[in-house]
Amino acid sequence: MPPVIDEDKCNACGICDQHCPLDVLYLVDGKVQVRYPYECWHCGACRQDCPTGAIEIEFLPIMLGV
Amino acid sequence: MNAPNDYRIDTDLAVIGGGTAGLNSAMAAAERGLKVLVVDKANINRSGAIAGGIDHFQTYLETGEAWDTRESWLKYAGRVARGATNLKIHEAVFCEERTAAIERVERIGIPLRNPSTGEFFRTQAMGQPGPYSINFNGKKLKLKMAREVRRLKCKVLNRVQVSNLFLHDGELAGFTGFDIRTGDFYQVRAKAIIISTGNTNRMFKSQTGNPFNLWYCPACTGDLHRQAFDAGVELANMEYIRMTIVPKGFSAPGFNAFFGMGSRLVNSLGEPFMERYHPMAEGAPRNIMVWSTIQELKEGRGPIYVDCRHLSQKDMEHLFATLGYDKDTLPDFFVKKGYNLGGTMIEMTVSEPMQARPGEQCGSGIKIDETCASNIPGIFAAGDSADQMGCLHMCVAGGYAAGKNAADYAAKVNALRPMDAGKMADEKARIFRPLEKKSGMPYWEFEDIVRYITTDHFGPVKTEKSLTTALTKLDRLDAAREDLKADNLHELMRVHEATNIQQVAKITATTALARKESRFPPYHYRADFPETDDANFCGLMVARKGTEGEVTTRFEPLSYED
Repeated sequence: MPPVIDEDKCNACGICDQHCPLDVLYLVDGKVQVRYPYECWHCGACRQDCPTGAIEIEFLPIMLGV
Repeated sequence: MNAPNDYRIDTDLAVIGGGTAGLNSAMAAAERGLKVLVVDKANINRSGAIAGGIDHFQTYLETGEAWDTRESWLKYAGRVARGATNLKIHEAVFCEERTAAIERVERIGIPLRNPSTGEFFRTQAMGQPGPYSINFNGKKLKLKMAREVRRLKCKVLNRVQVSNLFLHDGELAGFTGFDIRTGDFYQVRAKAIIISTGNTNRMFKSQTGNPFNLWYCPACTGDLHRQAFDAGVELANMEYIRMTIVPKGFSAPGFNAFFGMGSRLVNSLGEPFMERYHPMAEGAPRNIMVWSTIQELKEGRGPIYVDCRHLSQKDMEHLFATLGYDKDTLPDFFVKKGYNLGGTMIEMTVSEPMQARPGEQCGSGIKIDETCASNIPGIFAAGDSADQMGCLHMCVAGGYAAGKNAADYAAKVNALRPMDAGKMADEKARIFRPLEKKSGMPYWEFEDIVRYITTDHFGPVKTEKSLTTALTKLDRLDAAREDLKADNLHELMRVHEATNIQQVAKITATTALARKESRFPPYHYRADFPETDDANFCGLMVARKGTEGEVTTRFEPLSYED
């Protein structure tokens, strides 16, 4: 599911939660939830702005499959 | 969550939509000493069409080349956007502002020139007579503009969705909105507002069925087109839908990068087919590229591919580096698909349509004059939500123009106008009602119905019958609006977006019905009127709300010297 958070690298700074233009990511109790994975635009803002490199972008199977 | 609060804010100028145009508007007004508020549904650091990045800025540069002058640029704009661009307004919002716009982008920390050579890297595509597109790394442009707006002490409300505009005695009073994270309700009074909320997306089915897999920003859903229309603001160029050519599976920008670097479009027979359709081949205006691709697919010569194998190693490396400037994740997608820089042909397709401007040198949305003002005193517009602006170059340049003009207007307004308490209470109840519903229709189901209607009846081909059928179905859907439910504030935002998309779809279908010709096919192609009719339709179809709430249209001709 896009994006994927590496919990070992994540420092819970919340920048991805703040910056996501589609309101997909939520920082709750020190953990980032990918709450609306199907509403990801794949803009990569979260990954670009993550200070610890904890975010990878995956593509939905249909995007790679068609 | 704490109990939601009510907030009242008074300001000189409010910018609704903190994308490229809105932030440049805010800069202009703040530099003139006004109290400025910027409201955005997302966060201005990363919101709007270039949230994740951008790779080109179109302009002439007066280098001495015959094609590189203001006069040549205006001829080109008048040719590729004929009947949609008002060149007087284009001069005011772009030509007069473009030098300052380039300086501003570089001053806030995004070089448009190659830092090592000091030269612009310029490419040519989309019907341009010369290389008008400056290729640059704009991945951090949005962050830098947001930083500048904060440096200028603008107040920013992130994650606030505006819900409606309110007038007093026919002039702007203010607007309402809610915080999509806290549920706080906002009443804002302003001497002037600038609407800069982009175009309308999620209106048509996408290639993968996921309405968020789009070329343009899926958060831009025509919210302020609908609200402005309801407030009596005139809209223009709303009949146009816009498509591009995208990688199969991923609706991402990249068109200008591919074709600006000389990539070819080939069909399944390996034939570069564009010459058959236009003498400029892959340098033709975007709508002709899309039209031609649709024909190839329809006639059974798909799949179609973009072919980069003839590019030099240097050009290939430049292309694949800059593809990520425009869409950060596109290079990752190509890797996951198994494409490599060595020479695979990349399968492409036609993107989903969106409601937007029919070309790079015009706009679609709120009808503006040379001062970026709408027909309602106090309401201005900029960027992709204005009928004479769009694309990065006009959003940076024209956004600033709108800010200056709105600031001049606001400076002459003595007092803020009142907003009626009863209307505020009604609006607050309307906004939050879907949260109270225990059962009902979710936003995605409503939106899906809209997308089926639009895609079935007014995509790349439409007729009077298809448009009237669509309008009947879209009107019938009104009844379902009362039934929409939201389980949380995120869904509440989506509910309001869904109904705004539906209302904009009606405006699009009604104006397309009134334009009994074809123009920029397939952006407006009427199978029952397949020819462009400049004698009767070279100009703007203007939409305005009628006395019964219906969409009315009037035609405003535009003229060109040649």
